[in-house]
Amino acid sequence: MQPRPAGTGLTGGGGARPVSAAEDRAQVGKVLAGDIAAFEPIVRRWQGPLVNLAYRFCRDRARAEDMAQEAFLRAYRGLHQWRRDAAFSTWLFAVAANVYRSELRRIPPAVPLERAAQLKDARAFDGLEAQDRDRAVRELVQTLPPKYRDAVVLFYFHEMDVPAAARSLDVREGTLKARLSRAREILRSKLARLLTAQKEAR
Amino acid sequence: MSHDELDRILSGEPEIVPSSGFTANVMDTVRREATEPPPIPFPWRRVLPGLAVSVVALGMLVAMGLSEMRQMPANKISIPIEWVAVARQLAAPEAGWGALALLLCICSWTLVRHFPGWRS
Repeated sequence: MQPRPAGTGLTGGGGARPVSAAEDRAQVGKVLAGDIAAFEPIVRRWQGPLVNLAYRFCRDRARAEDMAQEAFLRAYRGLHQWRRDAAFSTWLFAVAANVYRSELRRIPPAVPLERAAQLKDARAFDGLEAQDRDRAVRELVQTLPPKYRDAVVLFYFHEMDVPAAARSLDVREGTLKARLSRAREILRSKLARLLTAQKEAR
Repeated sequence: MSHDELDRILSGEPEIVPSSGFTANVMDTVRREATEPPPIPFPWRRVLPGLAVSVVALGMLVAMGLSEMRQMPANKISIPIEWVAVARQLAAPEAGWGALALLLCICSWTLVRHFPGWRS
């Protein structure tokens, strides 16, 4: 499954239109021929997905934009490395995922960990509304070891498409599935610990 | 929490909209990048012959030192023979010049690596 580029993100409704692989191909050709302006439509088309993917990694809006900008720049620099046998989006997401993972290795996300620490207070978790609780679960993903976090982020970003997520991470599908399974186990145990602590606090 | 509920929560991530100036910022950066001259690659072609000569010279130095040590009576050797051989060779004036050249080479390479702006 190829992600849908949209103005608002990967699965966003507003402004979404079918992916035109031919458009990507033609514009990349122009950029490689020296027409820098041809890179702008590429940025417009893919900015939503790339910023949203970055946000899922760092959960910080401003940082997500910085990371996405770096990903576009890295894509621009390495445009000649895109082999036309794969979809442009596949290559672009792999580049972006690499940039984001390196960036998080350099400076780990701070806010989610603080938030996770807050969640250790079971009463805080108990008092959360459903929406906040969902957000808390998503933020718990940030506390996973990086290889599991990356697998979860990319799997759900690609709308639970294992092959697409595996391509973005440059791992085998089997490896991705194993990591996802382990990640879910860890997440469930973290959540179970929270809920147990919550019951004990009552 | 069930598998399905985890899937529901993690796949139902709300989306964020990039700020209005995002594309312009990216394009500014890309244009800046395009107008900058490409970094001068490290001159491996020039360095490699010198490096090869240095390696050969070092090898010869060690070989000479070892052969010299073998000719010495065993009772005169009180410290590891390689150390003595190297020390003897280093005491020669030519070795000093060689060491200085190597040091200069390493210093300039380190400077180029640490200060990319100096390349242009």
